[in-house]
Amino acid sequence: MTRFLITALLSAVLSFAAWANDAPRTIEMKVDGLVCAFCAQGISKKLGKMDATSDVLVNLENGLVAVSLKPGKDVKDEDLRSTLTDAGYTLQSIERTSETFEEIRTRLKSKP
Amino acid sequence: MSTFRVWGLSACLLTAPAFAKPIAYQGGTALMGEYGAGTMTEAQAFYAPSYRWSAGVGHLRLDADDGDFSRDITYLRGNLLLHRWNLPRAQANVFGWGGVGSADSSDTTGRKFAWNAGGQIDYETLRFYSSLRTDWQYAKDGFSHRIDTVQLGWAPYPHDWDRLATWLLVQARDYTGGLYDGVEPAALVRLFKNGRTTAFWIEAGVTIDGRLQSMFMINF
Repeated sequence: MTRFLITALLSAVLSFAAWANDAPRTIEMKVDGLVCAFCAQGISKKLGKMDATSDVLVNLENGLVAVSLKPGKDVKDEDLRSTLTDAGYTLQSIERTSETFEEIRTRLKSKP
Repeated sequence: MSTFRVWGLSACLLTAPAFAKPIAYQGGTALMGEYGAGTMTEAQAFYAPSYRWSAGVGHLRLDADDGDFSRDITYLRGNLLLHRWNLPRAQANVFGWGGVGSADSSDTTGRKFAWNAGGQIDYETLRFYSSLRTDWQYAKDGFSHRIDTVQLGWAPYPHDWDRLATWLLVQARDYTGGLYDGVEPAALVRLFKNGRTTAFWIEAGVTIDGRLQSMFMINF
């Protein structure tokens, strides 16, 4: 019985760890009009000030803006859309991912 | 003048944003200064409550190239983004602006109420840009002149958010109202860099007369 309980507890802990590891940590957005680093500074400032975000990544070559999320936090799609619209840009798509910024940078660099 | 029109047409047909945009971003403040080869010197400060409009103050000093007169115009101005096209790898804008001010000109007596109006169209990609801008100042019983500027630029390497951006550009400027005789071409280098809270922009070059043409902008 004790062995069963230990096994069940271990399984629960490992499952939670796996779930936590796969939880979205980053939100990736494709943005149109993102061609000038100087002009897009507003995006970084606005997204960086949100309660749920810890960092912002802007990649002009791919028209991509990403935010990393604080643990257990998220941002509504409509809040992201209005933030980018208010900054003067057009949001094309939103995708939640478990990739880190480093993984995104590596992926973008290896893109043909 | 025909040369200038060719430049203008080329800018429209080719690409880009050449000028510093008069609206930074929602909640952003822009400080700008320009030294235009001894003919014009301008300082401006704008605050943008929205990405669609900004308002602020400026001072423009003009010195005729033949030394006949000089003008100082201090003004209030509102800038409006009339239209923006956000494309997957490009952006184009149409801006308009106007305002009022007080002018002092060495060829007239007393300070005068002055109007100003202007506009800019620009088109920009990551590697090319073009813009066409016009500025008009008018004071009843005083003066009327216009400054038209075209810029074409090219980025020699792809820049990203966290890298220093370098642009090489050519500029052609035409002054009316006896400020400068002919079109004034210039070659410029522009650099900009983003900081965590502030973005810096500086450009400098020479005109065909060998005079300094420079500009800076800070957004925060």
